[in-house]
Amino acid sequence: MKRKILAALLASTMILSLVGCGGKDAAPTDNEAPAADVAAPADDTAPADDTSAPADDASAPAAEGGQTLTVWCWDPAFNLNAMYEAEKVYQKDHPDFKLNVVETPWDDIQTKITTAATSGDLSTLPDIFLMQDNAFQKNVISFPDVCADLTSSGIDFSQFAAGKTAYSVIDGKNYGVPFDNGAVVACYRTDYLEQAGLTIDDFTDITFDQYLENGKKVLEATGKPLISMQAGECDLIMMMMQSAGSSLFNEDGTANVVGNDTLKTVMETYKGLKDAGVLVEVNSWDEYVGSIVSGDVAGTINGCWIMASIQTAEDQSGNWAITNMPSLVGVSGATNYSNNGGSSWAVTTNCKDQALAADFLASTFAGSTELYDNILPSGALATWAPAGDSEAYGAPSDFFGGDAVSAKIVDFSTKVPSNITGVYYYEARNAVATAITNYINGGDIDTEMQTAADTINFNMGQ
Amino acid sequence: MYLFLCIVSFISVFPLYWMVSAATNKSAEVISGRLVPGTYFIENLKNLLATQNIGRALGNSFKYSLILTFVSLIVCSLAGYGFEIYHDKAKDAVMSIILLAMMVPFVATMIPLFQMVSKAGWLNTTIGFILPTISTPFLIMMFRQSARSFPHDIMEAARIDGLSELRIFFQMFMPTMKSTYAAAMTITFMNAWNSYLWPKVIMTDATSQTMPMVVANLTEGYVTDYGMLMLAVLICTLPTAIVFFCLQKSFAEGITGAVK
Amino acid sequence: MSRSSNKLTLSKKHNLTGWAFLAPGAILILIMSFIPMIRALLLSFKSGVGAKMEWCGIMNYTRMFKDTVFIQSIKNTFFYLIIQVPIMLIFALILASVLNNKDLKFKGLFRTMIFLPCATSLVAYAIIFRSLFANNGLVNLVLVNLGILDQPYSFLTNTTSARIVIIIALLWRWTGYNMVFYLSGLQNIEYSIYEAAKIDGASAVQSFFRITVPLLKPTILLTAIMSTNGTLQLFDESVNLTNGGPANTSITMSHYIYDMSFKYVPNFGYSAAMSFLILILVAILAFLQMKVGDKRD
Repeated sequence: MKRKILAALLASTMILSLVGCGGKDAAPTDNEAPAADVAAPADDTAPADDTSAPADDASAPAAEGGQTLTVWCWDPAFNLNAMYEAEKVYQKDHPDFKLNVVETPWDDIQTKITTAATSGDLSTLPDIFLMQDNAFQKNVISFPDVCADLTSSGIDFSQFAAGKTAYSVIDGKNYGVPFDNGAVVACYRTDYLEQAGLTIDDFTDITFDQYLENGKKVLEATGKPLISMQAGECDLIMMMMQSAGSSLFNEDGTANVVGNDTLKTVMETYKGLKDAGVLVEVNSWDEYVGSIVSGDVAGTINGCWIMASIQTAEDQSGNWAITNMPSLVGVSGATNYSNNGGSSWAVTTNCKDQALAADFLASTFAGSTELYDNILPSGALATWAPAGDSEAYGAPSDFFGGDAVSAKIVDFSTKVPSNITGVYYYEARNAVATAITNYINGGDIDTEMQTAADTINFNMGQ
Repeated sequence: MYLFLCIVSFISVFPLYWMVSAATNKSAEVISGRLVPGTYFIENLKNLLATQNIGRALGNSFKYSLILTFVSLIVCSLAGYGFEIYHDKAKDAVMSIILLAMMVPFVATMIPLFQMVSKAGWLNTTIGFILPTISTPFLIMMFRQSARSFPHDIMEAARIDGLSELRIFFQMFMPTMKSTYAAAMTITFMNAWNSYLWPKVIMTDATSQTMPMVVANLTEGYVTDYGMLMLAVLICTLPTAIVFFCLQKSFAEGITGAVK
Repeated sequence: MSRSSNKLTLSKKHNLTGWAFLAPGAILILIMSFIPMIRALLLSFKSGVGAKMEWCGIMNYTRMFKDTVFIQSIKNTFFYLIIQVPIMLIFALILASVLNNKDLKFKGLFRTMIFLPCATSLVAYAIIFRSLFANNGLVNLVLVNLGILDQPYSFLTNTTSARIVIIIALLWRWTGYNMVFYLSGLQNIEYSIYEAAKIDGASAVQSFFRITVPLLKPTILLTAIMSTNGTLQLFDESVNLTNGGPANTSITMSHYIYDMSFKYVPNFGYSAAMSFLILILVAILAFLQMKVGDKRD
């Protein structure tokens, strides 16, 4: 009896270990193969307008039936909603078409893509996924096998705002269909401005010098700073940089930090605002949103998507107004327009019917004013120019004092200077954040910029 | 002593209270620091159920966690027992080597592990979820340490009575070590329930998402609904708390002395 | 003569049974941990971007000693280790022995409440701690109202206080967790020993040091190794409470490795090399702890 139990136990152990070994043995040998397989479609993707797609690659596990596409994206109220609306639009002409949308946070998408691409097993990827604009260069360069080249897929990229499309163009090829708008807006509490004897016009088309002066007046009259920003995150820094078309990288990919006068001006401007108390730093994103909705600050500057958060403070309806952001002083190419955040749709090489995916995107996000009208109520603003002419975009917003904010933002987005994101964007961003923190705490600006440059160069020297 | 315990308990529980009251408030109220319970609970619940498939996520989480806990306890207690009761130089050395397995950050081994699991076709499956953490150095060591207090004279007596080694384990060791099992169960269940990095890599289907993944979904939008988020977090926390409350008697007031 | 040979086979059999018991667990660890580890070790001698890796010798290992951010992260991690682990373990021991008292009322309730922090989901815990220590948070409110501070102090944007907040958060979250092991370990100590000590006139403090601590030694060793390991791989608090800031002065090694793998241009060879440094550090510390604590009497 006892022997039997022991024997059974040993047997089950061996089975377990055999199963395990099977998995393990398969891994290293097959490892190289899929990577090579995948490289092929990546190079000669461009499945033209018609069905020359590699659909005859019979081993397609992703597509259940030829007309279903799997999509990964986040934010049900915004991106998922947009995809479902797009599905409806496309189904009118293609009744068999179906989407399988899997809600996946951006961090998870990035982790999944990195894991799949590094292990050489792209079969786990969806057909289409949404990618943060700032991560586009990094992912396409690091994992050239993941994203399909959409340049000649029949999508008319010229109808998108140039500054937006630039994020997903690598070596002259288009890898992304621009989606949501990240044009920067400056939002202000008009009731606070009034107490300081100011109006929204005093904040329109101004420079940061004027912004500082106005901010002091508001601070004096109401005790409220003009703006709050998350410490250690350099959102505002990056917005200021882009408003002058400047970047932390040069065309050739080298770091542009030491001797970058725009960056220096930006850092000095930021410190000036902070020292005057016009800008207050908070610790986290929650606290940042909290400071806005609870009326602790008189405004903010951010991508237009921040307006959705502002509108959760229902009691402040009618007390808000938007305009363009202040411009830098003494910098060539300074404008009142910039961009922060936003994302674009990418098609993966794992997609078995890339022509279908491209056609779907071409006739919805790059070709349907109806779609953009339908998703406008959720706050999703187009970067696709024809959508901005639609009547829906001219509708006034009660929350923002009866202003036609949608049309305004689309107008802003066409004026945003494009800049270079850089493959090492996140490394550079972190290095600059460190520099600005130390500079605010009394460090020497040139030393800090040098240290930041050293850190970036260290990271780039693999 | 009661005062001391009350202070410690208050500090421990305060954030949980905050979570409960936040789950009954509107998002804007939560973020501006309101601490009193509100009346928005039903709304939050409605919104949460409308945007996320909570039932499915809870079901998945329970399935994965319970199976993992069960299998893991058996495998690890057998191993811990084997290491201690039959210990010799070689086994002690193996134990030290096994400990090394937990000392490398998971990020480093995740990609090779993913390759194995994906090649075996276990993405989106229970076995894929549980396999890497069935046998953990931590649990093995925990059982090894507690087996040290398992009285040897009882074992000898049982052997003379003709009990097999396996029966000694199941009939003598397991009941005696009830408190260790209860503690191990609590910890394993909690770790399985809260595990996040591994499921997020291998669970690519909406149908196999776990509760922590749903919570992560809620934090990723342009607008975070904090009331709804806190409700989801509360739902995510309760099972572990209940498991602990049910098991704490067993592990702290075990059957001390029954065998001794 | 025949007797001794019989004994030999018996001990051989005994030995084999032992191996059979530990085989399932050991084999699973071999497959699920050591094979990935060996592949990660090979990877640590390669360098490159994304999936394109080439052999580079020990470059990754020399590289990390030139990496100022990584060196900073090592310092930060050891700061947490040295301060937090001893405090937490002692505190957990005290709580466990208090809660093991047979005459205490509401034991179950107290135990559950003290355990609750580690059951709390990370998301909630991070939001709560950030809001407690925010500029207009509860902690500042209390300190200002008590007159201890003139104006709110920005806890999370100053180096020392940011690190202290992380330590407080760790203590809050993991003390109850360690208490569980001590409570379960205490069940193996006969309560009569305490009663005998009491009759002999030993104070509570004396019996704590003379009875509880020595008899719990195996458990204390377990928790010490686990906490050391946990702290050297600390990730959640650094990411969620301070995001490594201000200016990387609270970032941990694991946080940096994660960024290097998933946030930055991925360099898995370098990440693997840094991970093996953690392995070496934990292994040395665990070895020392076992030398001191793992003796069978």
